[in-house]
Amino acid sequence: MNSTPYTPTRRQVLTAGAGLGAAMALAGCGLGSDTGGAVKADRAVKAEVDGDLVYFNWADYLDPSVLKGFKKKYGVKIITSNYDSMESMQAKMSAGNRYDVIFPSAQWVEKLAAAGQLLRIDHSLVPNSTLIFDHYRTFADPWYDANSAHSIPFSMYKTGLAWRKDKLGDQLTGSWNDLWNRKAKKQTYLLDDRDEVLGMLALLLDFPLNTAKPAHLEAMVQKASTLRPYLRGFSSTDYRNLLSGNAWIQQTWSGDMAAVLNNADDPSIYGFESPKEGTPVNSDCYAIPANAAHPGTALLFINYLLEPENVIKNMQYIGYPMPVHGTEKAYEKIVADFPECKVTLSDLSDELYFDDGSVAQTRRRSDAWTSIKVG
Amino acid sequence: MADRAGPSDGRRHRRGRGLWLYTAMLLPGTAWMSIFFISALVVMVLLSFGTTDELGNPHFGTTLANISRILDGVYFTAILHSLVYAVCSSVICLVVSYPVAYVIARHGGRYKHALLGLLVAPFFANYLIRMYGWQTLLSDEGPLLNALHHMGVPSTFHLINTQGAVIAGLAYGYIIFMVLPLYAAMERMDPAIIEAGRDLYGSALRTFLTVTVPASSGGAYAGLALVFLPSVGDFVSNDLLGGPGTVMVGNLIQDKFFDGQDWPLGSALSLVLMVLLLLFLSAYVRHNARQAKEVQL
Repeated sequence: MNSTPYTPTRRQVLTAGAGLGAAMALAGCGLGSDTGGAVKADRAVKAEVDGDLVYFNWADYLDPSVLKGFKKKYGVKIITSNYDSMESMQAKMSAGNRYDVIFPSAQWVEKLAAAGQLLRIDHSLVPNSTLIFDHYRTFADPWYDANSAHSIPFSMYKTGLAWRKDKLGDQLTGSWNDLWNRKAKKQTYLLDDRDEVLGMLALLLDFPLNTAKPAHLEAMVQKASTLRPYLRGFSSTDYRNLLSGNAWIQQTWSGDMAAVLNNADDPSIYGFESPKEGTPVNSDCYAIPANAAHPGTALLFINYLLEPENVIKNMQYIGYPMPVHGTEKAYEKIVADFPECKVTLSDLSDELYFDDGSVAQTRRRSDAWTSIKVG
Repeated sequence: MADRAGPSDGRRHRRGRGLWLYTAMLLPGTAWMSIFFISALVVMVLLSFGTTDELGNPHFGTTLANISRILDGVYFTAILHSLVYAVCSSVICLVVSYPVAYVIARHGGRYKHALLGLLVAPFFANYLIRMYGWQTLLSDEGPLLNALHHMGVPSTFHLINTQGAVIAGLAYGYIIFMVLPLYAAMERMDPAIIEAGRDLYGSALRTFLTVTVPASSGGAYAGLALVFLPSVGDFVSNDLLGGPGTVMVGNLIQDKFFDGQDWPLGSALSLVLMVLLLLFLSAYVRHNARQAKEVQL
């Protein structure tokens, strides 16, 4: 009899476990309620070395030889981290990680600056920035950041259509309607990107690019459903789809197109067009988080990257044009055979920029996007 | 039942030290499960009623908006896809695994364990990597389609980005969870009962249907549940092998958490899926309990 073990009843175990679990969960209730603590977005910073550079960027989005040059010139180390999406970049910053320089897209500059997470940048501390602001007036007061107060533009790109000339012919009609191509049935891809797909549909239907009106969204979902018979997938690896031959026509970013052309065995089989209804334009930027530990080094770094010779190296490496005076000719050379990949001042002046609305508007757009994807 | 003296009898003799000791032994496991399992679950449930701010950060709240958004059509299409694909892949797994497990268990002889080892070996490779392998295998210019084209299959025929590819990917991904319980059930089966069936002049087929199948059905049910449950929530297979018409609920959940930055909606979707799966699971448990009772009678 003595050996009969003590067995707590099932209820006891469950209650104890659930109680402890709930306690743990509630203890963690700070989730997302505080992002960054007391950081000052406009503290005074000097452009001088104040420590090693903590660098946070997409992988492979700068020429390594340029980074090496900076290390050598200023005698600092570069501690590198990479993100694979803007969302994960933001999540890591919100978790309290401290970086000195980041490369957010225009939309994310807007969001992060509004949330007080970006340091104000005094342009006089980045002397090379005049190469941008004096020549590319759009960026002196861009759509995403009043007076470029928290950011400096890094690269530009636009969204167009890439196609296989050997399968679909040398010329298409120069419209987003080219996606509805019988010959490209089941060889057609859209970007796996809410704003790009909704934007393309809005342009076709002559709605505002960032519309969140229920009636507009409904019409866009309807329009998208007519593309389904042709559609092979939603994929943002536009570059890979084109090179592998799965895509005959694909909604594509201009910089990725430049990369396709540089890597293809026979670049002449690819075409790229900027549809006449409009091509969304976007920009990635340099920015310094408000809680950066070494903002001085970061300012030096940005200025160094804006030296025209470094800009040219980076453009050659990543394929994206940069709005820096004195580098235009070099980019023309890179895309000599494919001038459609260029982002021109007139592209910028069309003001087709993605913009974030209110939480409710974003939610409506997300729901429409889900409807399009699920079909 | 006889070996279990009423627990209260035993406990009466040994309050104090024993009780304390057993409670202490329970602590590490309880703490582990509470911290890493239950609390995560509680956070998920609470977040289902939460909201997001402009940056996309989640906040706890008391809104029913997330749940009501799910009730709006398209999410159910995705859930339906998941359920249908999971059922198909479970059935395929059963059909493929049954003869495999049967042959190994009944005729494997001294190679039994080696054969089982060979079956398990591919599953040491990460699921994601194996799915990438399938992507190459099924792609338009991949080896399989090339061979099929040579055999006269029209060039408009694709394998990748189809429902079939997703289901096949799921079946391949989880088939081992079907083979192992089936094997265990057949291995336990006493060969004498099959001989008994034959002795009673049952035909081979009849013996199989009336003796072997019922004796291994426990393993089959366990396998179906083990394949079905992870398949429903899977997103990798569709991500890599699927097309625009094959979105599963796992993809939407992943989307809401990573790209969509809508953790509350993702949590609500997980919650709805979990409730659905609990219903299935309880049906399975009840079925098993009923069967166990019948066996006892």
